[in-house]
Amino acid sequence: MSDVHSNSKFLVGIYDDDDVVLQAVKDVRKAGVKIHEVYSPFPIHGLDVALGHPRTKLGIAAFLFGLTGTLTAISLTFYTEGYDWPMIVGGKDSYSPIIYIPIFFELTVLFSALGMVATFLLSNGLGPTVKPLMYDLRTTDNKFAMTIDMSKNDIGEGDIESILKRSGAAEVNIKQF
Amino acid sequence: MGLGAGVVLVALGCFLAASGGGHETHEVAHAAGAEHAEGVAHHAYKWTNRLWANVWLNAIYFTGASVIGMFFMSYNYLAQAGWSVAFKRVPEALPAYLPIMGIVVLAVFFLAGHDLFHWTNPALYDTASPEYDPIIAGKHGFLNTPFYVIRVALYFVLWYVLWRMIRSYSLQEDLSGGTDYYYKSLRVGVIFLVVFAVTSSTSAWDFVMSIDTHWFSTMFGWYTLASWHVTGLAIITLTVLALKERGYLQIVTESHLHDLGKFMFAFSIFWTYVWFAQFMLIYYANLPEETIHYREIFSGFGGIYKAPFFINLTLNFVFPFLVLMTTAAKRTGIILKVAAWGIVIGHYFDFYVNIMPGTVGSHGGFGPMEFGMILIFASGFVWSVYSQLEKANLVPKHHPMLEESLHHDIN
Amino acid sequence: MSHVTSAVRTPLVTGGKTYADVTEDISRQVEGKPTREWTIAFTIAVVVLIYGAACVFWTWWEGLGVWGLNKTVGWAWDITNFVWWVGIGHAGTLISAILLLFRQKWRTAVNRAAEAMTIFAVICAASFILMHMGRPWLALWALPLPNTFGSLWVNFKSPLVWDVFAISTYFTVSLVFWYMGLLPDLATIRDRARSKVSRYIYGAFSLGWNGSAKTWARYEYISLILAGLSTPLVLSVHTIVSFDFATSVIPGWHTTIFPPYFVAGAIFSGFAMVQNLVLIIRVVFKLEDYITVEHIESMNKVITLTGSIVGVAYLTEFFIAWYSGVEFESYAFINRATGPYWWAYAAMMTCNVISPQLFWSRAIRRSVVWTFTLSVIVNIGMWFERFVIIVTSLHRDYLPSSWAMFHPTLFDISDYIFSFGLFFTLFLLFSKFLPVVNMAEVKTVIKSSSEKLPASVSGVAKGERVTSPTFNKNID
Repeated sequence: MSDVHSNSKFLVGIYDDDDVVLQAVKDVRKAGVKIHEVYSPFPIHGLDVALGHPRTKLGIAAFLFGLTGTLTAISLTFYTEGYDWPMIVGGKDSYSPIIYIPIFFELTVLFSALGMVATFLLSNGLGPTVKPLMYDLRTTDNKFAMTIDMSKNDIGEGDIESILKRSGAAEVNIKQF
Repeated sequence: MGLGAGVVLVALGCFLAASGGGHETHEVAHAAGAEHAEGVAHHAYKWTNRLWANVWLNAIYFTGASVIGMFFMSYNYLAQAGWSVAFKRVPEALPAYLPIMGIVVLAVFFLAGHDLFHWTNPALYDTASPEYDPIIAGKHGFLNTPFYVIRVALYFVLWYVLWRMIRSYSLQEDLSGGTDYYYKSLRVGVIFLVVFAVTSSTSAWDFVMSIDTHWFSTMFGWYTLASWHVTGLAIITLTVLALKERGYLQIVTESHLHDLGKFMFAFSIFWTYVWFAQFMLIYYANLPEETIHYREIFSGFGGIYKAPFFINLTLNFVFPFLVLMTTAAKRTGIILKVAAWGIVIGHYFDFYVNIMPGTVGSHGGFGPMEFGMILIFASGFVWSVYSQLEKANLVPKHHPMLEESLHHDIN
Repeated sequence: MSHVTSAVRTPLVTGGKTYADVTEDISRQVEGKPTREWTIAFTIAVVVLIYGAACVFWTWWEGLGVWGLNKTVGWAWDITNFVWWVGIGHAGTLISAILLLFRQKWRTAVNRAAEAMTIFAVICAASFILMHMGRPWLALWALPLPNTFGSLWVNFKSPLVWDVFAISTYFTVSLVFWYMGLLPDLATIRDRARSKVSRYIYGAFSLGWNGSAKTWARYEYISLILAGLSTPLVLSVHTIVSFDFATSVIPGWHTTIFPPYFVAGAIFSGFAMVQNLVLIIRVVFKLEDYITVEHIESMNKVITLTGSIVGVAYLTEFFIAWYSGVEFESYAFINRATGPYWWAYAAMMTCNVISPQLFWSRAIRRSVVWTFTLSVIVNIGMWFERFVIIVTSLHRDYLPSSWAMFHPTLFDISDYIFSFGLFFTLFLLFSKFLPVVNMAEVKTVIKSSSEKLPASVSGVAKGERVTSPTFNKNID
């Protein structure tokens, strides 16, 4: 939440419906207002596109962590059974990669999943000691909030308020951090 | 539209097959000098064996490709899937090829069964004969000509009749609308799935596993099903893309293609899983009566099947896995096409390595005959699919889930 | 978002619920005082757990000799219970991952409880691994650590070591998946909390979630990737469990169909257990509008499907045992069906193959009582399946001189009871302190499938995208 400066002033438009807020995002942006963020109790399909957020690159993280897992598994099995203490069990070669495929697979998945989730938490600034910035407590229940950072907009407060109202906002509040 | 191309392909295929046959006699003459067939056909090898083996291989491959159309529709009905309705007529067109394949399969069995199936040799069951084989004799209750023919005929009849029913409901739905036909089709789909649960395994034993008469694997039925299934998915994708490129099926969006791509990706991995599980267990336990199957492919007959073995793994696992991994790839027509072609070719080799070593052994190869035979069967298949597609509206306009499919949007 | 839903679909949420209703109905039991039923059930579970723990302690103190194992049957109830619990632990990830990938929306009401069940079932399964080690303080020897007496490593060629990797990976990833799913709901409870303590605790566990569009987009993305990773993972776990048996050359164990057949069986028993738990939850917490008869019916269909797959696998095994002409293999299967353990085999066949076929009847499929009873029967059947596979294959050795029978002792039984105490204690704690239904996900399906609008026959779907703010008033 580094993009929020102390004593920033926000206009918070509260909406009752997910379809309304999705359309409102398009309308408000068309009206020339820069939207800070939208908060919702559940994911709204297409909202990130409407807001113009860039596509997430977490897939690359998942891939790279997975690759690390595979390489770890290959090195672990090679070091232990191919190099450090070669052993022939069940008539197989001391290092027999076909047999290690389950290990390769499990470590790939483990590393990929944990690494990606960790990246997600870090990149979104989530953690057990984080105090969330809640613009409206009802956004985890049944309301949708569109927040406008006043310091980033040249349009006057009254104008934005009427744009929000026209786009379907049930109420418009002011929130100061 | 596809018909003209089909005729040209058939002509080309026949020409190639004929010239391939000519080559074959030369090769046989060559091979006669250094004959060391490792436990293959007990009676003399004829060049026609390879021809019949090729017909059989293609017949089994395209039987699978056809019946998967019905399988795909059935489980989509059962799972209440809405997204696939937009291109439903494509899988619906595939099983029309089944009767032709049924006739070919039975004809080959009657004409050349003795050359392809070791177990058809009556001496194996005669205790007085030097060729008596107690293990094969033990299988006589299952592997005997009358029962075999009944089973094979039953597969084709059941599959085809159930398809005719679902097809006619689908066409009637186009005319009259309503949800009645939806529920009727659902019921037929469920019946098909029950039938196919059994027949997919038993047909795999009959068509392929019984070629290596001694060999057995409990996984084999599901393994063949996995192979057929992903082939069918790739063919559906290719057909959808071909129609879209020619200006039909414009209602199919990137989202539908994305899902088809996911299906090909997921079921390629599923096939690999089944392949690996079967291979791993046989490799690990190292029992001679089981390992012989892979021994023959991997190092038997002078190693001629080693390349197809690796082509199989590469085209069916490595290739689709890498190509279809990203979202962008699954939404791009040309990449999907490349992946689908890889899968279609790869699974031909899957059946190739399972059928050829047991039927032609060291006389196998991949020459004009193989190529020509593929062309003949494939052009017939393309003709059959396109003529079915021409018979009906490409959009099932009264399907109750059509609207959902038109609004299918994922990203 | 397109809310186009076909007329042939039945609603997933009944009773005309609004978003606020969802929050209220599901958070209620987390915030309120424990009910009487809960307290009674919890007390019983804890008593069972204490009794079981004492028996497990004695098993370790005295040694594994207190079990009924002998030289021929060296694996019996311990591994049966392990495989049974791991199998049950498959449904949660299946529901949340595979059904997410297949976009089966009905999963939203049951995935939370199913995933919790998965995690607790895997813990129970792991407890049998520790138990059958006899000296659990040496469990770390199963990890690839350099031995203090020299560089002797674990044997990576052993399926038992693969199991260590598979089960621990599965547990970790399932836990992460479940926890990620909980984040938005924990934030909901945090924002509703009245006491400082619960605001602090739920606040810490919700990791500062605030539901911004950016977070949701990434969250949905990683959920899909986690689902994509979990799907092969869930297959791999029971595959590797099946390798424990199938890589050996014991007749009846070494058969190539084992991996997918074990997976199908696992899903089968897992869904049966989910049914049992969910049927109790929906009554106790009054969630009939969220977990509807439609949900129960869908899960019964999965049970019938997987039960039939298992049935096909039984028949395939039996057929190939005869077809193979291998006398040991043929004998193993004839012995299963007609030998001294014929009753276990009969129980397995009846419970697993025949009983789920009753679900072909729509009335039975939609009956709560039938569903509950048949689900219990399926789980009994799946326990017997593992018992049949493990004990009947072992008790007739290659050498007739070492043929033996297995008789369970009090400790075999009590250690099994322990796992029930553990499972239900954990599950009851979960159902009290965490929301049993995924609120955020139910809210995403509520509009497309909550109320039944008149649908025209021509196939034009209901609920086209509505952009006017008046829509919400129509809901109430």
